[in-house]
Amino acid sequence: MSQVQARFFTENKKYLIDDVPFSIPAASEVTDLSGVINKLLEAKNDGHKHVEFDFLVQGQFLRTSLASRMETENISTEEVVEIEYVEKFTAPQPEECVMHDDWISSVEADSEWILTGSYDKTARIWSMEGKAVMTVAGHTDVNLYNGLSSLLLTASLDQTIMLWEWNSERNKVKARHCCRGHAGSVDTVAVDPTRTKFCSGSWDKMLKIWSAVPTEEEDEIEEPNRPRKKQKTEQMGLTRTPLMTFSGHNEAVSSVLWMDAEELCSASWDHTIRLWDAETGGQKNTITGSKVFNCISYSPLCRRLASGSTDRHVRLWDPRSKDGSLVLLSLTSHNGWVTAVRWSPSHEHQLVSGSLDNVVKLWDTRSCKAPLYDLAAHEDKVMCVDWTENGLILSGGADNKLYTYRYSACVLDAGA
Amino acid sequence: MRPTHSGTMSKLKNKKRNLEENEDEQLPIFDKDGGKDGHLDDGDEDQGDLSDSEESVFSGLEESGSDSDDEEEEEEDGSEEKSSDVEEDKAADGDGDDQLSAKEVIEPQTDGQHSKEKKKKKKAAGKEGGEESVASDRDSGLQISSQVDEYEHDTSDEEDIRNTVGNIPMEWYKDYPHIGYDLEGKKIFKPIRNKDELDEFLDKMENPDYWRTVQDKMTGADIRLSDEQVDLVHRLQQGKFGDVNFNEYEPAIDFFSNEVMIHPVTNRPQDKRSFIPSLIEKEKVGKLVHAIKMGWIKPHRPKETTPQYYDLWAKEDPNSILGRHKMHIPAPKMKLPGHEESYNPPPEYLMSEEERLAWEQQDPEYRKLSFLPQKLACLRAVPAYSRFIHERFERCLDLYLCPRQRKMRVNVNPEDLIPKLPKPKDLQPFPTTQSLVYRGHSSLVRSISISPSGQWLVSGSDDCTVRFWEVSTARCLKTVEVGGAVKGVAWNPNLSICLVAVSYDDTVVLLNPGLGDRLVCTATDQLISSYEEPEEVKDQPVQWAVAEGEGHEQGHRLILKHPKAVRQVTWHGKGDYLACVIPDNGSSLQVVIHQVSKRRTQNPFRKNKGLVQCVSFHPIRPYFFVATQRYVRVYNLIKQELTKKLMANCKWISSMAIHPGGDNVICGSYDCRLAWFDLDLSTKPYKVLRQHKKALRSVAYHRHYPLFVSGSDDGNVIVCHGMVYNDLLQNPLIVPVKVLKGHTITHDLGVLDVTFHPTQPWVFSSGADGTVRLFT
Repeated sequence: MSQVQARFFTENKKYLIDDVPFSIPAASEVTDLSGVINKLLEAKNDGHKHVEFDFLVQGQFLRTSLASRMETENISTEEVVEIEYVEKFTAPQPEECVMHDDWISSVEADSEWILTGSYDKTARIWSMEGKAVMTVAGHTDVNLYNGLSSLLLTASLDQTIMLWEWNSERNKVKARHCCRGHAGSVDTVAVDPTRTKFCSGSWDKMLKIWSAVPTEEEDEIEEPNRPRKKQKTEQMGLTRTPLMTFSGHNEAVSSVLWMDAEELCSASWDHTIRLWDAETGGQKNTITGSKVFNCISYSPLCRRLASGSTDRHVRLWDPRSKDGSLVLLSLTSHNGWVTAVRWSPSHEHQLVSGSLDNVVKLWDTRSCKAPLYDLAAHEDKVMCVDWTENGLILSGGADNKLYTYRYSACVLDAGA
Repeated sequence: MRPTHSGTMSKLKNKKRNLEENEDEQLPIFDKDGGKDGHLDDGDEDQGDLSDSEESVFSGLEESGSDSDDEEEEEEDGSEEKSSDVEEDKAADGDGDDQLSAKEVIEPQTDGQHSKEKKKKKKAAGKEGGEESVASDRDSGLQISSQVDEYEHDTSDEEDIRNTVGNIPMEWYKDYPHIGYDLEGKKIFKPIRNKDELDEFLDKMENPDYWRTVQDKMTGADIRLSDEQVDLVHRLQQGKFGDVNFNEYEPAIDFFSNEVMIHPVTNRPQDKRSFIPSLIEKEKVGKLVHAIKMGWIKPHRPKETTPQYYDLWAKEDPNSILGRHKMHIPAPKMKLPGHEESYNPPPEYLMSEEERLAWEQQDPEYRKLSFLPQKLACLRAVPAYSRFIHERFERCLDLYLCPRQRKMRVNVNPEDLIPKLPKPKDLQPFPTTQSLVYRGHSSLVRSISISPSGQWLVSGSDDCTVRFWEVSTARCLKTVEVGGAVKGVAWNPNLSICLVAVSYDDTVVLLNPGLGDRLVCTATDQLISSYEEPEEVKDQPVQWAVAEGEGHEQGHRLILKHPKAVRQVTWHGKGDYLACVIPDNGSSLQVVIHQVSKRRTQNPFRKNKGLVQCVSFHPIRPYFFVATQRYVRVYNLIKQELTKKLMANCKWISSMAIHPGGDNVICGSYDCRLAWFDLDLSTKPYKVLRQHKKALRSVAYHRHYPLFVSGSDDGNVIVCHGMVYNDLLQNPLIVPVKVLKGHTITHDLGVLDVTFHPTQPWVFSSGADGTVRLFT
């Protein structure tokens, strides 16, 4: 078996070649195939620059020689092999390294600003260039989570969530509301797509939905020692009470997210991922795993849930499947707990994961055996990762550093 | 042989002797010569011979008694004298009575002197008569013996001119110039001796043989002793036998014993009483006859007919598999000789040169043939078979070593003997890998405890700090300094109270870490501050104090001062009672139970029953477990009595854990063992696991999962599956599932404490390397 009949195709119009089968050596690897395509393209149009390509055989990236791949996949050598080729993803380029005073517990970014929460009880706003813009201090305990653009949410171990209003021109932050109600540390918050509500998950096993719209009046709560609280609200903003409370988890809620405006998804230490109806508060589905879930992420592009748990796997789930506990794929390369996962907002196959083994890994679900890239910049535990729409990957960890990477390939590949 | 025989024999002879001379009966002459005895033994018909021989002896005696010439000649001829002396020696050697003969033989050296003295003292006789007679007796005895020898050698006595005065003390002739008379009655003159003291001295100085020169008393002549004689004298002086060749330790044969011989040793006629019936026996028989007649004795008692033999195979079941007849294995048969053993084998049986070489090089054991086939011209040329004996021996070995019984071998697969344990893979979940390391302590971490919610971990270390950690991130949230190396920490298991008991030195501090629900924390503080002193204050062994100032800021709430160092603190499940161990072998105050809400302390035990190692409350029922060095005692707290005493079978218990069901206890010990007790089963361990290489420091049960864990000085944490079934008939299933490594051994200490996460199958271990590790 020295020669195989192969037909190359791509969805990228830029690199289209003639739809004819070629006879190529079976022992050829990715670089060889890439050379073949480049030669063909050069022959087709003169102005072609050399492009590295990656090849997919039956939806999986080719990492070994074609022959061994065909052997493992049981592809007959008699037939013409269909090989898809895409432009090779270039490695994420490190951009900034932002030092913090303490461990970074969470990170979130939009196209302009980066918001980080830290163990020094503050949340910080940074510009994309890594300049500290604003420090939001108000919590009495470790800061955990955040959200929104001009409205910021910070959740803390002190069992409260603060809603802040940030005026970026004047660079001023005002605490608008202090959301009280949780009986444990608040570990996660998520804002719904309409930006009118947000949901929080706490160590007290509860999910609570709060209004995200700042109002001028305080929610009615029965405080036994009102005068004292009154003073506090001057600083801390008005006290807000939850709109709804979802109980059902048997253990701490570690991660929560909105799948769409009506559907909530929460992961917990009780080894389950639950889907909730945000309107009625009923449980819609339960996915049961075998380990504690640390984090989940949902991609509307591929409609998959990715979860990181206290073993070293990143697992992909189909939240729509009725039989619940079906793992679609396990991505195994980490050596410690997976503490953070985040789907690419623009690419349906790619996700990023951070782990206690100090490494951030970039995955393509089409290559599940090994990650595309290891981002091994951190010197201590990675606690959080984020991926912005404009192709910025952020990761923060216990080494007090926030790293940002520019990952351009996904933008180019977005159309693929 | 000697005593009686000589006795009897000497009687006969002495008669004659007494007739012919006044010889002493004690003379051992007749004992001397074995040859003569043999003659005598021959019987009565030899009487003539006997008399002849005796006559000859006595004739010799007479001669010896009369010979003086002989000695004179001896003076002249040293060699002859020597020979005669030697003969004397020989005669003496034949003697059995050592002492007497020895003395006799000693005499010759002094003989000369004696005789001289005799001559000198001849005239002054009488005074020393007794002594002299003894001496002369001896002399004569000696002479007799010498005469016997002379006779044997048939030495003629005609030229032997000797003193014939007879057996008289020679002192009688002391003052005469002569010493006796010869046959013609002429005087025999003494040799001229006019040596005075000076001559004597000169002689002594000049004559090299002076020391061996003696004077013959009988003749008065000086005799120079030969080398042999000197040698003899030396031997006798040393108490040895005169004869060099004589063996004094010859085995004695006891002829006259109680054994009746077929041939009599002696010729003594039988006693008369051997012919006449015994009166005593007659009387005895008469009595027996009378007793039989009277019916007192039954002469023919019927013998008990007990069978002497029994059927060895009677009990054997003829149908049994192992029956003897079925078991018979015939002896192996010898192989019949084949062509190769023929003297003229067909050529194909003959070995070629290479085959022969190969055969010779082969080990004899592995040879196909034990011999080389040979081709011989005719049968007559067949040589003797050299291996014949060897071959017979091997055949005997074959017969001897061949099996004589069929062995019923039970085929047991060794795999089947191993108890069927489920695979660890099927027993998941259990901790398998190290996930987080909680770094921060600078010294060994003696104790850890986890909050009931599972979110926080507290650790107490020898660096005098207590640290609070966030479990999921290994973040140290709080560090509280205390006044000493922390020996024990325990988080209150009650969810509505937020308190941690910390023991250091002689103090137990109740800390409010301020972690978890704020309402709970404030409620706890309120609970403590709302305490009101009771009206009557009891005398308590422990001082209670409320922390103030800086301590209060750090979280200290209550301080309990104990009389001695506190080793362990443990809470009751409800969270109100706190038990402390104050190990002290001499005191009865080793365990104290505090009630936090009422700030009361009680000492539950009046007596000291050994050094208490650890204590624990039963998770459900009002029992209290106290582990001393070797035993675990279970007390009923309501009835106030001892319920059970568990024997741990180990030397020194280090730690103890109670199964959440309450019916099972595990004990770790310093001698590397972990004992599992089933309280319903026995007071002895149900299972003892020896997996660790060094002392166990800590054991723990999981609250929900069927897991238990042990930490040891070898740095390993071993996780075991320990399933307890609700069914009372089923014993607990114990399967070791995982060895967790991670802690480095520091100062010969490895893992010091282990504890499980309350809800997850995770185990925390604290070590001497100052770290706490989480395994998931």
